Amino acid sequence: MEELKNNGGAKQFIVIRVGEEQYGIDIKYVDNIIHMCSITRVPKVALYVKGVINVRGEVIPVMDIRTKMGLMEAEYTKNTRIVIVKSEQQGFVGLIVDAVKEVVTLEVDGIEKVSYDNKSGKTMFVTGVGKHQGSLISVLDLNEILTE
Amino acid sequence: MDVSQYLEIFLDETREHLQNLNTEILNLEQDPENEDTVNEIFRAAHSLKGMAGTMGYKRMQTLTHDMENVFSEVRNGTIKIKSHMIDILFQCLDALEEYTTNIQENSDEGTNDNEALIKLLNDCLKPDGAQEETPAPESTAGKPAAAASGGSKWSSIPLDEAQKLVLGEAVKQGKKVYGITVKVQESCILKAARAFLVFKAVEELGEILVSAPSAQDIEDEKFELDFSIIVITDSPLDRVLADIKSVSEIEEAEGAEMTESSPAAEKAEKSKEKSVPAKTETAKASGAENAPAAKTGAAKQEKKSNTKAVGNRTVRVDIEKLDVLMNLVSELIIAKNSLVSATTTQEGRESNAAVDSQIEYLENVTTSLHESVMKVRMVPIESVVNKFPRMIRDLSKKLDKKMDLQMTGEETELDRTVVDEIGDPLMHLLRNSADHGLESAEVRAERGKPEVGSIFLNAYQDGNNVIIEVGDDGNGIDVENVKNKAIERGTVTPEQALNMTDKEIIDLLFLPSFSTAKEVTDVSGRGVGLDVVKSKIETLGGEVEVKTQLGEGSTWIIRLPLTLAIIQALMVEVGGEKYAISLNSVTTLENIAPSDVKLVQSEEVIHLRGSVIPLIRLNEVLDIESTRKENENMIVAIVKKGDKLAGLVVDKLMGQQEIVIKSLGKFVDKTRIISGATILGDGEVALILDANVLI
Repeated sequence: MEELKNNGGAKQFIVIRVGEEQYGIDIKYVDNIIHMCSITRVPKVALYVKGVINVRGEVIPVMDIRTKMGLMEAEYTKNTRIVIVKSEQQGFVGLIVDAVKEVVTLEVDGIEKVSYDNKSGKTMFVTGVGKHQGSLISVLDLNEILTE
Repeated sequence: MDVSQYLEIFLDETREHLQNLNTEILNLEQDPENEDTVNEIFRAAHSLKGMAGTMGYKRMQTLTHDMENVFSEVRNGTIKIKSHMIDILFQCLDALEEYTTNIQENSDEGTNDNEALIKLLNDCLKPDGAQEETPAPESTAGKPAAAASGGSKWSSIPLDEAQKLVLGEAVKQGKKVYGITVKVQESCILKAARAFLVFKAVEELGEILVSAPSAQDIEDEKFELDFSIIVITDSPLDRVLADIKSVSEIEEAEGAEMTESSPAAEKAEKSKEKSVPAKTETAKASGAENAPAAKTGAAKQEKKSNTKAVGNRTVRVDIEKLDVLMNLVSELIIAKNSLVSATTTQEGRESNAAVDSQIEYLENVTTSLHESVMKVRMVPIESVVNKFPRMIRDLSKKLDKKMDLQMTGEETELDRTVVDEIGDPLMHLLRNSADHGLESAEVRAERGKPEVGSIFLNAYQDGNNVIIEVGDDGNGIDVENVKNKAIERGTVTPEQALNMTDKEIIDLLFLPSFSTAKEVTDVSGRGVGLDVVKSKIETLGGEVEVKTQLGEGSTWIIRLPLTLAIIQALMVEVGGEKYAISLNSVTTLENIAPSDVKLVQSEEVIHLRGSVIPLIRLNEVLDIESTRKENENMIVAIVKKGDKLAGLVVDKLMGQQEIVIKSLGKFVDKTRIISGATILGDGEVALILDANVLI
């Protein structure tokens, strides 16, 4: 019984790095992680939308998570990855992140909620903060990231 | 019995029968004496009854049963069709439609017994006045066996000259000819299947010359409990009958030997071999006169019965399965494109003729495959437009205007998904024509137009498009009226209105919530409409425009693409990026010197063969630096939308290519100039420019 409860209360997250911070994306939304590839620019769209890419024959829009969070654009490196997530409203969307580090399991109880009246705008994209082996992992609010 | 697995088929077929009934009853209204129509209605009602009964929908069964009763009487000539009966029948169809909708939504027919309707139907059955005549349609003159049937139905099978000849020939060859009537059990559900088994059993022994009802009707279950056949065989009658009876759910099979001339007489002295030569003599004699004609007739008959057996082999396929197939074909075309680009981009490569020819072959195959799949998905628009005559009839009564709907090109085919969606917009335009378009009888008389207003729907294929025109000979659109309304509503300012062309003003009609109807009626005029029509057609990749002449009528022209998923495109480069433009909209490609560009109202235009064409610099539209140098000649693709032309300035032409349209996804769907994306041979994504939006 106890064990079941524990499993139900734990979630797996893909840990990504954006700038100096670590963010966790709930693994159930993640479809695929790919290397940086050539992106076709789409005119007349929001700045953070970098364009569209071809993933296994499907055309998927990609956005730069840095631009969306209001950070400076960074050059793409060999660590840069595109995390393909699937949301119910938007379908598949690719997120350009600085690096993908690992998969961690966090206890839901151990994730602390973040208050929203923080003056820094970027916390808006975070639902809570969890701890893993001494480092902090902010849990990304995908719906917030994906709304325009 | 669990019938839920048949529900979908039941719904499909019910719809078909209802549509059929609607059409035929409309015909009947025009031509109440037409026997074929009455028969067709009777059959459809009968099949409906049977299907509803099998599925356990009792109310539906009762209603159709009573309808069938009425038609059975009409068929027998005891009652005559009156206009109030037509109304009642239409109400019945509506009630049946309601049952069907209920069944589709919650697998239950609902609780409406429609007793009033049934009573009305039964009232129709009461004979009015003396019967003038009692025609018996079954016993037409010229049937050899009519008089002497003596209870056996097979003996009333009509035989034409050719069949008689075949019969005669058979007897001459020493074969036996039997007439057999087979009765299936009342509880039998799959009558057609049983009949088929009977046919098969008989065909193993001999040849079926003719059957009543026809093989096709039997296959469609258009018969009551029995059917009759005439068989040519070497086997004895007992053997044939025994084989028939061995098919399960067959209640009875009776028969006798016959010849072509007089089955009844033959019956009396049946199995007397002696009589055979004499009979054949007569057959030969009678056949000799028109031998050549009869022979070709016989050949034809044989051919006909052959094609009948294979002619109607169809499969009902879930549209989703076809979608999957279509997607796979798309993948294949992308893969083919990659192969083509892989073999052509290798630098310094020695050309390999074998590879090239195989790729060419592959291209042929994929193109044919694509075409076939597209064809499979095509259905005639008939299924949609067939309901319109009935709608116009009802509107005519409701609005108290006389009108007539003329349709052409119902057989024009479109992709199934388009056909499913096009019904509502068309219905809307027709309603508009009936309500706003056609004038009242007085105004029409004043203008010297015929009393009956005419509404038309024409469909035809034009290149890679299908055009559907909907229009009327009514009032047309009053441009001044629209203009005033627009100013009144603040859609445009009076100054703006002054500078607008008539066409621009008419286009205002397509804006949301813009209805010019002076009064709101039940039929139209609520302001939801033309904008919905337009957006619906645009989501289907089509466009709509209107031509109108005040006092003479208006025509709405809908242009739809034949295919949705795969198109021929012109590939171009702008600022180093690749774009596709549908080849449909491109008319010509021009090389224009920069000095030829003129300014009209501070817009760039070019003169081309007598017409002034506005220039659109794609790099500006797409926010990108052009790679072309200032003084270089410009490459201009002239694109067309309806009557309008525009020149798109591109940097480079890459050629023509078959492309698969992919959706951009909701996330970047906001740009209307980009209608989609496609994957190129090298795996890169290229955007598709919608020239219609640019113009």
